[in-house]
Amino acid sequence: MKDQDLMRSARFRKEREADWQRLEKLVLAAESRGLQHMQFAEARDLASLYRQATTSLAIAREISLDKALLGYLEALTSRAYLCVYAPQERLGGLFQRFFTHSAPQAMRRSWAYILVGFLCMGLGALSGYLLYFESPDWYFVFMPSELSGGRNPDATYEALRSVIYDENPDASGLGAFATYLFSHNTRIAIFVFGLGVFACAPAILLTFYNGLMLGAFYALHVERGLGPDIAGWLSIHGVTELSAICIACAGGLKLGTALLFPGDLSRIDSLRRAGRDAVKLALVAALMLLVAAFLEGYGRQLVQDIYARFIIGWGVGALWLTWFVFGGREQR
Amino acid sequence: MILRLRKKKKDTRPSPSELMPPEGVPLTLEVAGVGVRLGAQITDIVITVVALVCIMILLATLDVTSPQTIFAIGALLFFLIRVPYYVLAELVWNGQTLGKRLMKIKVVSHDGGPLTTHALVLRNMMKEAEVFLPGTLVLMLDVASPVASFAALGWILMCLFVPIFDRYRRRLGDMMAGTHVIHLPVPVLLKDLASEPRAFGENRKQFVFLSHQLDHYGAFELQTLESLLRAQNTRPTTDGGRQRDATIEAIVEKIRKKIGYADPVARSERLRFLQAFYKAQREHLEQRQLFGDRRENKHYAKNGEDA
Repeated sequence: MKDQDLMRSARFRKEREADWQRLEKLVLAAESRGLQHMQFAEARDLASLYRQATTSLAIAREISLDKALLGYLEALTSRAYLCVYAPQERLGGLFQRFFTHSAPQAMRRSWAYILVGFLCMGLGALSGYLLYFESPDWYFVFMPSELSGGRNPDATYEALRSVIYDENPDASGLGAFATYLFSHNTRIAIFVFGLGVFACAPAILLTFYNGLMLGAFYALHVERGLGPDIAGWLSIHGVTELSAICIACAGGLKLGTALLFPGDLSRIDSLRRAGRDAVKLALVAALMLLVAAFLEGYGRQLVQDIYARFIIGWGVGALWLTWFVFGGREQR
Repeated sequence: MILRLRKKKKDTRPSPSELMPPEGVPLTLEVAGVGVRLGAQITDIVITVVALVCIMILLATLDVTSPQTIFAIGALLFFLIRVPYYVLAELVWNGQTLGKRLMKIKVVSHDGGPLTTHALVLRNMMKEAEVFLPGTLVLMLDVASPVASFAALGWILMCLFVPIFDRYRRRLGDMMAGTHVIHLPVPVLLKDLASEPRAFGENRKQFVFLSHQLDHYGAFELQTLESLLRAQNTRPTTDGGRQRDATIEAIVEKIRKKIGYADPVARSERLRFLQAFYKAQREHLEQRQLFGDRRENKHYAKNGEDA
C-alpha cells in the first residue's frame, strides 16, 4: 500500500514508529541497567528521542484520534521522562557521608530541640524523684508492675542489690540481646518519634513520663542506700539509651513544631523541610539504641564492678558527644 | 451548559496525574490508589515474613535459641529484615520494592525530579509509625484496656484517612519525604486500524460515505468503535460468536439509521462496513480538527451553539 493512500495521522505514525520503538528499547535498558552503565551513544539517543517523542505526543494530540496511538505515546513519553529526569541516584559513599557529614551536622542544627528533649526527660526524673520522697505510693502510680520486676518499695535491700549485681546470669547471649533491644525503652523511642508528628504533645508527654519512672526508680534505690550502685547499673547502657530517647524526642518535636508553626511555608512543605533533619536524628537514635542494647545484653552481665560500669557508660557517652560536636566540621 | 462550565472552573488546579516536564507537553502519570498500594504492601510483608521464617528455622536447627527468647528474637529479626528491606529495595530499584514491581507501581518524587536517599529513608521510617506499629497494636489488643483499644483505633483510622483524603493518595511519610506513588505506564503499540491493507479483491463493493453522513458522530463514538473493532480481532468467543454477531448487527443497523445509509449491509459484509466507516469517520473528524473544529462527542453541535 502506498503512503498516499493513508490518512494524515496514519502517515504521521508510520514515519516515526521506528524511532518510538527504539526509544522503548532504550527506556527498558535504562530501567534495568541504570543510566550510568549505558553506552554514551545510547544515553545521548535516549535524551534526544525522548524530546522527539514529546513533540510527537503534542502533535498527535492535535491531529490524531487513534486512541491506541495516543495511549502508547502517553505511556512511552512518561516512562522516558522518568528515565531522563528522575534517574537513580548514585549509591556510593552513602554510609560514609552519613557518618562523616550529615548526621553530626543535623545534630548540631537541631541542638535546641535536643535540649528540649533532655529537659523533658530531666524534669520528669526530678519530679519523680521528689514525688517519691513525698510519698512512696507514687511509685505504684508511675511504674507498671511488669516493668519493675518486683523492685518496689516493699522489696528488701538484698533483693534490690541482687538485681544490680547479678552473680549468676541465666539469660545471656543473643537471646538477652534481643530481649533488651525490644525492651521498654526502644518501644518508647519509636513511639516518641512517630507520635511527634501529631502535634508534639504525645512526644513530650511520653518523654516526661519516662523521666518520672526513672526518677521514682532511682529514688527507691537511694532510699535504701543503693544510690551509687543503681547509678552505675543504669549508666552502663542508660547514658546511651536515655540520650537516644531524648534525641528521638527531638526528632519528633521537630516534625511536630513544623506542623504547628509552619511560618510562611505550607504545612506540607514545612514538614518536608523538617523531615530532612528529623530522619537523621531518628537514624542516630536507632544506632544509639542498638549500641545500648549491646551494652545492656553483654556489658552489664560481664562487668560487675561499679567503677568500670561508670567508666564504660560515660565513656561511650563522651564518644557520642565528640562525634556530634566535632564530626563533619568543614576545614577552614 | 453555562452552569456546567462554571462548575468546572471551580477546580482550577491541574489533575493530580498531570505532570509538566520542561518540554512543555503535559504528561500523565496516574496516581496509584489505596487498594493497589495495600496489595503491594501485603506482598512485601509476605516476602519479609518468608525470609524471617527461613532464618528462624536455620537458627532453630543451629540450636542458638531457647523457647523463652524465641519470640523476642523473632521480633528483632523481623524488624532487622524489614527496615533495611524497604529502604534498600527502593534505593536499588529506584522507588520499587518487589511488591510494587509486582503491582507495577512506583514511587516518584513529587516535583518530578530524582528520588533522594533521604526521601526514601524518611518515607520508609514513617512506615514503621504508620503501618507496623498500628498493625502490632491491633494484634496485641486487650479487652481489659478499652482506652488503649480506642487509641489504637483512632491511630489506625487517622493513618488510613490521610491517604484517602489526599489528592495524591500520599501517606504522612510521603508528604514528609515529598513523594507519591504512581502506576508505571506500560507502552503497548497496537496496530493502526486505518492502515490495515485491503485484503479484499477489487471486485468487492467499496463502501462510500458522503460528507453529511459523517457529521453525526464525534471523537468519543469513534474511539468506542475503535475499541469494538480491536476486540473483534483479539478475543475468541465461547458461544460460536452468536452474541457477537447480534451486537455487530445492532450496531450496524443503528449507524445506518443514524447516518441515513440506504443500502442494506449483508451479514458477511458487516465487519467490513464498520471498518470502512471507522476509517472514513476518522479521516473526516481529523480533518475537521485540523480546521479547529474539535468534536468531542455527538453532542458537539449543541455545545458549539451555547459557547
